[in-house]
Amino acid sequence: MALSEPAAAAATFERRVLRSAGEHHYLRVWLELPDGGARPSAAQFKQLVVSALRELHGEVGAALPVDVLTYEEKTLSAILRVVSSGLVKLWSALTLLGFYQNRRCAFRVLQVKPCGDWIGQQ
Amino acid sequence: MSLPPLQRLRQAPRHLLVCEKGHARHARSRHAAHVRDHAYNCRVSFLIPECGLLPEVLKSTIADVGEYYLVRNLPVHELVAHDFIDAFVKKGSCYALTYKTKIDQDNTAALLPNGNLILSVDKDTYEELGLQGRPSKYSGKKVMRYIITIDLTDSGFHPDSKKHNRVLWALKENKPLEFDFLLAWYHTGAEGSTLVSYFSKNQIETLKPKITFSTLRDLQCPLLESNELYGKPEESCSTEELFEWLGAVLNQVSLDNKSSSFLSTYCCPQPNTIVEKAFLCTITGFIIPEKIIQLLEQLCCYFGEPKLACWLTLTVHGFADSPVSWRENEHGFHKGGENLYNFVIFRNLDYWLQMAVGTNDDCPP
Repeated sequence: MALSEPAAAAATFERRVLRSAGEHHYLRVWLELPDGGARPSAAQFKQLVVSALRELHGEVGAALPVDVLTYEEKTLSAILRVVSSGLVKLWSALTLLGFYQNRRCAFRVLQVKPCGDWIGQQ
Repeated sequence: MSLPPLQRLRQAPRHLLVCEKGHARHARSRHAAHVRDHAYNCRVSFLIPECGLLPEVLKSTIADVGEYYLVRNLPVHELVAHDFIDAFVKKGSCYALTYKTKIDQDNTAALLPNGNLILSVDKDTYEELGLQGRPSKYSGKKVMRYIITIDLTDSGFHPDSKKHNRVLWALKENKPLEFDFLLAWYHTGAEGSTLVSYFSKNQIETLKPKITFSTLRDLQCPLLESNELYGKPEESCSTEELFEWLGAVLNQVSLDNKSSSFLSTYCCPQPNTIVEKAFLCTITGFIIPEKIIQLLEQLCCYFGEPKLACWLTLTVHGFADSPVSWRENEHGFHKGGENLYNFVIFRNLDYWLQMAVGTNDDCPP
């Protein structure tokens, strides 16, 4: 038993509670487009997100740092990352976006997750 | 609480992350208790850096994660029947959770291994049901949801007691509730009757957890120091950074972006090292804590022989729509319903445990 006793260097118990400490929020979204017609590439997709922000929140909104972490052209689904203070701005901008290249479109927000928990569930 | 509108625009929903560090072999370590207290788990994944092939022991542990059952249209009163209580609830750990019910809209039920049956019901059902409960913590000023807890192993809950008859009457005649249930039962010792034979007259399906393996090549891994929860600049990464990185790995996000990149500026936290290959295994299903404890123990034993890896991780996700998170702490969905924990096991068997919950949750234990 003496061997398995933690050595002096072994970690002593410590507990930290972080309240809303995550710097970022993550959104799993998909873009609904009418069938047929061009699908946006990754860069165009990001451009669309930025233009949505600009439309609703102006240049200040467009400057909000948003990352497109993954984007799948086939399914038009993506994971976005945004600073937590910009979550409401991004979400509202995506919701109110109605057109992509003069075609009707809609962003569907599937999941919103803080910190590392942005893994598809259930 | 009323904030100026622009300030409200900057607010994000509250979430909690609790980080603990300790030693897995310490006599008073609570890590196994935390696993046991988190009853309903839908996904378990572990990542072992510098590992190409899984040791046989771990393979057999994964294969042994166990079956679970799906019973369709099961009336809740069958769970409070004494045949059921004597055969399963009192003779092991019995887990039941309603399947495909939404915690913020539907009625939900869950049976905990300690014998508590929890019903989370909307206001109308509560009033019709006629059982005593308490208002949900997260339903606002005008209470629209109630929580009813029934202790099935209580000594006052014997077949002829008033309490038992009342519950049976409420659930059978007054307001019959029916759900699809996920069931699992863990017991040691002599074989009794099985859930399949007990529920043979209902529609019962035996399900196996879905297991996927993958090997990740040339993965950037953060450097961690078991004594430094906060991390040290230039030397090791903090728990939050690790947590974020792990999410990225499990979602196959590219980790080597430049700060000037148009699409994404996410990159692996500094300092990091490139690992030639890493083994990732994901198990999805209705996974009971006893099996997770076994897996955790085997993962600790992985470091029994000298290994290249400095640490490995085990991530467990709870059901987003379960009525409880840890113990009997009420759980709500709000925006994401997250309740999960993550272990980092170090080579010297120090561990980090990160427990995260969303807005409608108590602080993890």
